[in-house]
Amino acid sequence: MDMVSMGLLAAMGALATVAGASEDLESDVGSQSNPNSQVQLAAQVGHPHRIYNKAISGEPPSNALYAALAAVTASVLMSGYGMNAFFAIAIGAVAAAIFNGIFSVTAYMGRNTSQARFNQYVYLDVLRTHTTTIMAHAYITAFCVVTISYIMTAPWLPIQHPFPMPLVAFIWGLAIGAIGSSTGDVHYGAEREFQAYPFGSGLNAANSGDIVTKAEAGLRSSIDNAWFCARFGGPVTGMAFGLTVFLDNWRTTIFDPATQGWLAIVTGVVIVILFNIYNRILEIRSKKRYGPYPEYAGDIEA
Amino acid sequence: MIAFDANMLLYIIEIVIGGLLVGVGVHFVPVGGAPAAMAQATGVGTGTVQLAAGSGLTGLLSAGLMMSVTDNMLMIVISGAVGAMIMIDATMIVGNWVYIYGVGVPPCSAKVDYDPITKEPQPPYISPGTVGHGIPTVSFVSGTIGGLLGGAGGSLIYYALMSINGNPGLSGFFAIGIFVVNAVVASYNIQGTIEGFHDPKFKRVPRAVQVCLVASLVIGIFAVLITGGA
Repeated sequence: MDMVSMGLLAAMGALATVAGASEDLESDVGSQSNPNSQVQLAAQVGHPHRIYNKAISGEPPSNALYAALAAVTASVLMSGYGMNAFFAIAIGAVAAAIFNGIFSVTAYMGRNTSQARFNQYVYLDVLRTHTTTIMAHAYITAFCVVTISYIMTAPWLPIQHPFPMPLVAFIWGLAIGAIGSSTGDVHYGAEREFQAYPFGSGLNAANSGDIVTKAEAGLRSSIDNAWFCARFGGPVTGMAFGLTVFLDNWRTTIFDPATQGWLAIVTGVVIVILFNIYNRILEIRSKKRYGPYPEYAGDIEA
Repeated sequence: MIAFDANMLLYIIEIVIGGLLVGVGVHFVPVGGAPAAMAQATGVGTGTVQLAAGSGLTGLLSAGLMMSVTDNMLMIVISGAVGAMIMIDATMIVGNWVYIYGVGVPPCSAKVDYDPITKEPQPPYISPGTVGHGIPTVSFVSGTIGGLLGGAGGSLIYYALMSINGNPGLSGFFAIGIFVVNAVVASYNIQGTIEGFHDPKFKRVPRAVQVCLVASLVIGIFAVLITGGA
């Protein structure tokens, strides 16, 4: 372990945290991933809305595509044209953001026009303002993921990962999508979309599609949703991806895999055990704080 | 003319075992799909393949780094398993933060009355109209085992392919492909949601083993031939 490696590791953790947060907010503005099912259902159950509706694909494949696309572009610019890494990655991320924008517009237009019979309109102002917001977040995500991949693979830096940079970016893109879909999106899907229902009631299946369409003033837009999710869902998604990138690389930075491989593995196992213990503490504390459901009338006692 | 030797057979067997580990591992991963994203079902709020691939391939990165410095198969496979477990555990912990602090629901299972590990009662904590929410202890432990099996499986496939051609990029791509095929096949068996090894759906594992065996065998033969085994 040397100071340069530790500094790079810290930079990777910070980049991953920013990438995780922007990835989650990008999917919240666009209503990608699982909460999209409620946005899609809303118009059909009588709640036409001004929420952006883009279900391009699951988040992991789409983010893997954007990250790999940005990494391939950057890689070609660096190796073929001798471009500086910083500018090459920035241009790669622009290419990814443009692709994201194209997919977003076609998804929004396609989905909303297909719901014309439920009085769901295509709002051109929503398309104009939200698509750029989505692309901006996608740019930040792609830039950070490709920079992490570059740090892991660049021949002049200490971490020498054997995979080519686009493949590393592809895998981190897949991981960031899986994390964003599993963590931050729950804050949007279970809380923000159903704020009209009491906090802590979950979503009763009978209320599916009854999403909040009105804002504090006027009609709710997806940028309002990003504002709300940026207070909790986005940052914790960043923490999840930051933890993954940092902890996974930390154990191979402090212990050299070539000579202390088993120590790196044991450190990883200890981290996993600590996670399991922490989850149990979290469960006990939450049950103690919230208690059983007030209207519960079953035979099994809490 | 294809020369068939004992090493080639060994590589195919390793790929098949890796595929089986992935297929079985997916059944351990607690996923609630779209309903879980609305706190309507127990488990992580995403799809089976998505989370299994996210964790398994993070493990593949760890295994790739380890294999660049050692040839010890055990070390490479365990390193991949640990990488996958770290990713899935970090995801589940933060997922539970969102359920508990963001949505206000305590983790509980709807498939069992008492948590098989902690023996705590579950039904009093389930919100009406839902089939559980969050990631209770049993699902968390199950998810960790899922990460372990998925990460180990992906790494074993990578190890076999690397032994054939020594090209990390090519082997990595093929390992991802074989991983995803087995994860998707297993997902059809799960049909959307599963809470972990305590879920009644888990009894379907033998069927997934049969299908993953056939799928991995066919892909294994082609993968070995294409990547330079003959």
